[in-house]
Amino acid sequence: MTLTATGFDWVRQLVHRESAIVLTPGKEYLVEARLLPIARQMGLPDVGRLVDSVRSRPSPESTRRIVEALTTNETSWFRDGDPFTALTSTVLPVLLAARGPAERLQIWSAACSSGQEPYTIAMLLEDALPNAAARVSITATDISREMVERTRAGRFSQLEVNRGLPAPMLVRHFTRAGSEWEIAPALRRMVTAGECNLAAPFPRMGPFDVVYLRNVLIYFDLPTKQAILHRVRALMRPDGWLFLGAAETTLGVDDSWERVVIGRSSAYRPLKGA
Amino acid sequence: MSAPVVTELLDEGTVAEIAEQAWAALVGEEEVLVPLPGEPPTDPVSSWVEVVGPWTGAVVLTCGRDTAEQLARALLGEHAPEVVDGEDVVDALGELANVVGGNVKALLPAPSVLGLPEVGAAPSPGSPADTCRVDLLWRGQPLTISVQGCALDLTEENGVSL
Amino acid sequence: MRALVIDDSRAMRRIVSGTLEGFGYETRQAGHGQEALDVLHEGWVPELCTIDWNMPVMDGLEFVSAVRANPAWRAVTLVMVTSESEHGQIVRALAAGAHEYVLKPFTADALHDKLALLGLLPQEVAR
Repeated sequence: MTLTATGFDWVRQLVHRESAIVLTPGKEYLVEARLLPIARQMGLPDVGRLVDSVRSRPSPESTRRIVEALTTNETSWFRDGDPFTALTSTVLPVLLAARGPAERLQIWSAACSSGQEPYTIAMLLEDALPNAAARVSITATDISREMVERTRAGRFSQLEVNRGLPAPMLVRHFTRAGSEWEIAPALRRMVTAGECNLAAPFPRMGPFDVVYLRNVLIYFDLPTKQAILHRVRALMRPDGWLFLGAAETTLGVDDSWERVVIGRSSAYRPLKGA
Repeated sequence: MSAPVVTELLDEGTVAEIAEQAWAALVGEEEVLVPLPGEPPTDPVSSWVEVVGPWTGAVVLTCGRDTAEQLARALLGEHAPEVVDGEDVVDALGELANVVGGNVKALLPAPSVLGLPEVGAAPSPGSPADTCRVDLLWRGQPLTISVQGCALDLTEENGVSL
Repeated sequence: MRALVIDDSRAMRRIVSGTLEGFGYETRQAGHGQEALDVLHEGWVPELCTIDWNMPVMDGLEFVSAVRANPAWRAVTLVMVTSESEHGQIVRALAAGAHEYVLKPFTADALHDKLALLGLLPQEVAR
């Protein structure tokens, strides 16, 4: 069963609503090609059935995967670079001053996709901090097992390393492995990857000093956003830092956070007593 | 120590993967290469780049003339001139060989040097043991990529220098 | 902002120039390093050069070294755009003075991301 005109229109509206990206008529082929792997992973024979299934039983996870498959070719490394600049310029010095030398900083990349975000953090810390591997651990989670496995492998295609990864960092932290590029073993050891469904109770982890929860809240409804932010807060140290996507905020969602402007980006910190 | 043969250095899957990435990025994100052989084109044209190093040979892309013209239009996309002429086709086909060739070279023993692309009738292949060839279909039309050891001097023969 | 697009393939020159113009650049093109040096000597000194590696007459690496040897051109940002994709080649280009490296094949998004890293997107600079 191929994608019907109604099915295509539904996908078109979904993608427009969630990402403001317009799929013009004639892109049916693209929708079919991009969504087929998702249909197969969900045990469905084709894209028509996938769309039917998600339309009748909408879930944020499948919605997010459909939108991502149609809007991003490759995740960029320094996607909206500012939250990463803020980490080394402001957050890290403050945390290092507040923690003892033997305390290990814990950072959570909460929707890590194929691993670009946790390894971006690992590279920055490795460059900024002597003995980074002993001082920091990075937890990377994603709802998709495939993405978790890709993060664990730490291997990226040529097209992926071409997306916003500075060349000096590429040569410093990667080696070629066949037609792919592989992250240095020391950095791979800093990152522990696992599955986590943000909409369900979290596994035991943390407490975290820094959480990157970027470009994922937009896919959930208000009560779920509130529940996720509440659970994230419970896993954070009282003086921790939360980074959201550029189009996301806690304002009007959960008032137990304080917004702090760092350069061109914002972080959120748990409000004391809230 | 004898010179390595290419089949010990590369496999077909890797060459196909390199070509798929080149097509997806440059020809169009919806442009897939299907790893199936087709009827050989009646009017083939080839583009190639030479690799000189511990392994010496060429990375050769071969397709029909119509396919080459469509490839040039697809590569240029929105940046195509009003009239895509023969020179554009030769140039585009040469550039695709350069892109695939550069990425193939990165998997061969270093140091290797990449030549400038040439277009014309395919250079003669070396021995089958020293050839890694993939047959692909693009928009249903046959296209082959062959990483082949050097049988003859490839540089001066029937090529049109770009 | 101005960009000089240096590549021996005219298809590639059209693609890179068209993409950069879409970002707001004024562009000129050169088919090899010597032609590009002539443009600079003529006084058209751009903010950005995109540079292929393998070209006739003068290759991209020689061009990078020549630009870096002239203090008058210190402000020019040099971005390699090439199918040379070994780890060692990227190191060589950076050591010669290139600021960034885009591997062919690339997409317009890849070029956009690299220019964003360098602070060289005209619309954003103007904003």
